[in-house]
Amino acid sequence: MVYNSPVLFDKSETIVEKFTVRRDRRKLMIISAEPKEADIIEQFINHINGLKEYELIEMKDELQLKNISEVLDRQKMGTQLYISAKWDDAVTIFMAAIEAGFSEDEIQTLISGEKRRYVYCIKCYHLQEVEAEETDTICYHCQISLEIGPFFSRERKGYIGYPYNPAFVTST
Amino acid sequence: MYKSTNLDLFPYPFHNIKEGSNYRYSNDLRKLEKDQTSCIHITPEYEKQIKRKRELLNEQPEVRFQSYPHTMEMQWEVAEMLINMAVESYPEHFQVEKNGNHWTFHNLTLNETESFIFGDTSSIEFEPLDLIGRHFTTDFVLMVHRDDNLYLEVAQESYAALFSPHWNKGMSFDEIHAPVPFVSRTDVPLAERVRNFLLSNVLPGEPWTRINWNLMANRWDVNYETFDTWGPTRFLVTPENAGKLVRLRVEEQFFYRMPRSNAILFVLNTQFLPMEDLELRPVWLEQTYSILSGIPKPMADYKGFTPFIEPTVEYLKNLVEKVKLQTN
Ligand code: HEM
Ligand SMILES: [Zn+2]
Repeated sequence: MVYNSPVLFDKSETIVEKFTVRRDRRKLMIISAEPKEADIIEQFINHINGLKEYELIEMKDELQLKNISEVLDRQKMGTQLYISAKWDDAVTIFMAAIEAGFSEDEIQTLISGEKRRYVYCIKCYHLQEVEAEETDTICYHCQISLEIGPFFSRERKGYIGYPYNPAFVTST
Repeated sequence: MYKSTNLDLFPYPFHNIKEGSNYRYSNDLRKLEKDQTSCIHITPEYEKQIKRKRELLNEQPEVRFQSYPHTMEMQWEVAEMLINMAVESYPEHFQVEKNGNHWTFHNLTLNETESFIFGDTSSIEFEPLDLIGRHFTTDFVLMVHRDDNLYLEVAQESYAALFSPHWNKGMSFDEIHAPVPFVSRTDVPLAERVRNFLLSNVLPGEPWTRINWNLMANRWDVNYETFDTWGPTRFLVTPENAGKLVRLRVEEQFFYRMPRSNAILFVLNTQFLPMEDLELRPVWLEQTYSILSGIPKPMADYKGFTPFIEPTVEYLKNLVEKVKLQTN
């Protein structure tokens, strides 16, 4: 991994509502780590309908998740990866995929449940989780009020949190 | 706090803007003349600036200096270029002795000596750019060329506005400029265009320059880290006190292609001029008044001077009238 490698964050271009078949790829590889989404995976496989070679890997436990790198490393060029998982598992699989040389264009991620979102306090450099819709928060570490900005840093792994003094909020 | 006292050395930002025209973002890079390619300038404020720069670096090293461990060789290359430039431009202020890899750099103004083994980072107290940068008043950013983009891998920054080496570390040129309403007069997006221009035109031995400007209200450090402190002070400006409180804050920028690493070194010389000192150059005063009267709202919001632009323009209007009365 290098510092400018892609990371999975809530606005990642790899996150999709629905998997789509990439006909330009040699092979499609589906990693299904969330049993609840089995129906969706089945539908997708029906949709592939013999158009392409595919491989389905169902992750049942942590151990399998740990060994995911081996599976990904084995893939040849031209493989399109589909990840179906809850957020934390998706992050593990995504990172392993990037490590194995996949580009963002070669990954589609379908998240079950909530995506996680983080804010980086630019005053004290503390990273903390925030709710999906929050626009303002308080830094747990230095207690300053933070306005959550739209800019994300891969290096700091969060959105910028601008410190402000709530006593001086003016309408502009 | 310092201000520019030798106006001949002040990088007035609107020289290249036609009289009566307004200011909009553009690709305003200019190639430096062959005999003026040095970014090292000694002004009457040299010692004051160095003292403050070093205080800021020592107080908040994590805020002011950032780098990746793999950049040492690139940093040495920059250090070498800066030392050579300094010695050539100002032999009365800087000297260097090179005995093989054993170098001794003398800063005669400050009466300081740095001895080190060139290329050996264990022979110095700071990283190479951090060490050598402490002898010059400018900020330094090393943007490394990877996959058709430029990425911030080293930065020593004390003066530049809205610039955080800590936050911008590892970002591409485009990511760094995302907060800027970076569009041309005709709404053409500029980031990609300017980036491509830099990549194909900034070549070894052919540095470029441009000037960026802002206004600030009674504050030196306008970085995001301290927004909660300086944000509110912007509301203290009135047409009566704007002459002293508001400063034209100018960054003269230089871009050098490093021949060995292929990175682009970005150098910023930040200078301040209080509004009241514009009276010393009536042509500047009138043009600045006219340009500040016509700044688009998104640009003023981005630059952060929306809260005090009105009283500032009012102050300048009164000053223009006063100067006219005096000269008539
Ligand atoms: C390659 C080196 C460069 C670096 C590292 C750099 C960095 C920055 C940074 C950190 C900011 C402030 C962004 C923020 O608010 O968070 C900025 C603003 C800006 N940059 Fe650059 N920049 C570079 C080159 C250029 C070039 C070549 C142009 C040419 C047109 C340019 C035009 C601008 C403009 C117009 C702004 C807005 C400034 C204002 O209105 O006050 N930059 N830049
Ligand atoms: Zn904080």
